[in-house]
Amino acid sequence: MKGYAGRILDVDLASRTFGFRPLDEATARLYLGGKGYGTRLLYDLTPAGIDPLGPENPLIFATGPLNGSLAPQSNRFAVVCKSPLTGGIGSAACGGSFAFGLKKAGIDILIVRNQSPTPLRLEIDGDKDSVTFLEATDLWGQGTRATQEALGKGRNHAVIGPAGENKVLYAGIVSDERIAGRTGVGAVMGSKCLKAISVTGTRKLELEDQEKFNDYTKWLRKLFRSHPVLGEKLRRYGTMGIVNTTNARNILPTRNFKYGHHDDAMSVSGEYLEDHGLVGVKSSCIHCPVACGREVTVEGVGRVKGPEYETAALLGPNLEITDLRWVNEWNFLADDLGMDSISLGVTLGFAMELQERGLLQSGLTFGDATGISAMIQDIAHRRGLGNDLADGVKRMSERHGGAGFAMHVKGLELSAYDPRGSYAQGVEYATTNRGGCHVQGASMYFESTGPLTIDPQSLRLKAEIPVVQQNLACAINSMVLCIFTTYGMIPKQVHELDPKGRLHRTITFLFERSGPMYRLLTKLKLAPVTWFEKWLTYITGQTFTSGHLQEIGARIFNLERMYNLREGIGGAEDTLPHRMLHESTFPHLDSGHPLDQLLPRYYEIRGWDPQGVPLQRTLDRLQVRT
Amino acid sequence: MSITVELTYDLAKALGNRRLELEGTPTLRQVLALTRERFGAEGATFDQLTRVTALVVNGVLASRTHSQDTPLQDGDRVSFLKAAAGG
Repeated sequence: MKGYAGRILDVDLASRTFGFRPLDEATARLYLGGKGYGTRLLYDLTPAGIDPLGPENPLIFATGPLNGSLAPQSNRFAVVCKSPLTGGIGSAACGGSFAFGLKKAGIDILIVRNQSPTPLRLEIDGDKDSVTFLEATDLWGQGTRATQEALGKGRNHAVIGPAGENKVLYAGIVSDERIAGRTGVGAVMGSKCLKAISVTGTRKLELEDQEKFNDYTKWLRKLFRSHPVLGEKLRRYGTMGIVNTTNARNILPTRNFKYGHHDDAMSVSGEYLEDHGLVGVKSSCIHCPVACGREVTVEGVGRVKGPEYETAALLGPNLEITDLRWVNEWNFLADDLGMDSISLGVTLGFAMELQERGLLQSGLTFGDATGISAMIQDIAHRRGLGNDLADGVKRMSERHGGAGFAMHVKGLELSAYDPRGSYAQGVEYATTNRGGCHVQGASMYFESTGPLTIDPQSLRLKAEIPVVQQNLACAINSMVLCIFTTYGMIPKQVHELDPKGRLHRTITFLFERSGPMYRLLTKLKLAPVTWFEKWLTYITGQTFTSGHLQEIGARIFNLERMYNLREGIGGAEDTLPHRMLHESTFPHLDSGHPLDQLLPRYYEIRGWDPQGVPLQRTLDRLQVRT
Repeated sequence: MSITVELTYDLAKALGNRRLELEGTPTLRQVLALTRERFGAEGATFDQLTRVTALVVNGVLASRTHSQDTPLQDGDRVSFLKAAAGG
């Protein structure tokens, strides 16, 4: 199959053995690769009820057909395993360069099984078809930055920091300065005593129609460079450029999500950073023309990658902190120690509210930076109270109380878009299989932050948008492509419309009322339209359209759902924190998110029963084998 | 009686102030006019910087809840909003 290396590498850390086997073409056609293929493997390789931190939990690194090509934003890999944080499906995606390295080594998927008794690292040479098992005691305890420096250039690495080694439940896996942050995949790597994987190779990816791919990609790069989001806003301000927008919309998490607005939020915005402390622009994802990464200086460390929006919001206003120097430092610590800054920020906010309410003597208070750097270190090393915070807010709330303001879904800490001002995003949080995350659909772009937004607080389209977006995100995370590529789908002309004007109002009016038409249009299988459909078509030789991607995405989403159901996670977990459902942040409303009014419709569109279980005919239609 | 007007970064930078406090309960039309007034001779700068911005009242897009001539209420927060993308 074109677009694939055609091989799975299976490594056993206990026996220190490995083997290559062919990629299954039928599975690749159904699930593409990345998250989709990885979820299929996890489902098939493991029984229900395994210990996520035990030897039986495989750690699956999966690329897709776009990786290894020169398609912009395509150097990402997915990591799939059972999540130690949620007990359900664990998955995370990461930029950097590791995906490119795997493909160059002729590997689509790497499965790491069992555990080593002592710290280990792997060196994979795709040209020699070899895997070397090396002692890594000297690297154990090192940060992700020092570890990668020690491993050297010329190979591509995926590593963990102390947080992963100490099985912090929201530890991540780092490639260059990017992190597969969510659901605790780094803790699973740490449980295997696997410090690092380095990969090298010189294989070339075969494409079905190289010429068409090249011509189209060349044209598209130019288009991206002139696009208002990809070529201008993200390029100039990074993802922090959205801070002032979410703040104006009243959906910027503030004081552990008690409020959606902070008077001084501008001080942690991308625009402010540009004028105060930005030292460079950094693209640590190779072949990416957007370069959304920022470079900042941290005292005593030097130039490092700056924070993303999620980090700036959750380690900033969510803690009532608006001094960028602190946010920069904590962001660096999270990256270097190897942990998810989203879960970290929410957990710190929760600890502060517990302190405020007298439920826990955490020593952490809103608006006070004192002790936070030390606490982040303690979390990564599971020292003192840090050992408690290392388990995330769900477990903390079980120990100390405060479940009503423990901001998570299914155990995964919420991202930085308050769903009370973004109802479709709330449905997405509640139903997403890995838990409360924003990049499994990014519905808020259509209702709160984008150039053409429908009413975020009406019920119209609020069940439909998450279904379409979640399906698309599943497909994109299986190619594996950056979700930011979807921002390019809204053309420049729309961005230039005056939101105060009549044409803008007319379009949003019609969009809000499109209902079944909206879903129908996304299901059409006429011809490839978007770049990811065209790239897939040119690379694999199969025809991909919006309808195909919706179908593949729905298949992956339903398989994830079946995995969670097998683990006992069902409709009861499709909910939002009490604060989101019952506390209002808007003066014209006396309650929170109306999830109960939207969930039945969402289940119906999904083809699930009222308890949120996929109907057999839905599984049959999507060819989901269970 | 007053309302708060929160500016975009560009407007704030041009004006040297992040927010304005306006006395009374002006309408949105008056908010625009009064904010523009603060720019004095640089009104064209204000026009340019607000060309593709929306107005939001207490987090809600004003075009859905207010006409240009609806009086605002004491304590309202009016924000200039620019579309953005993050992650």
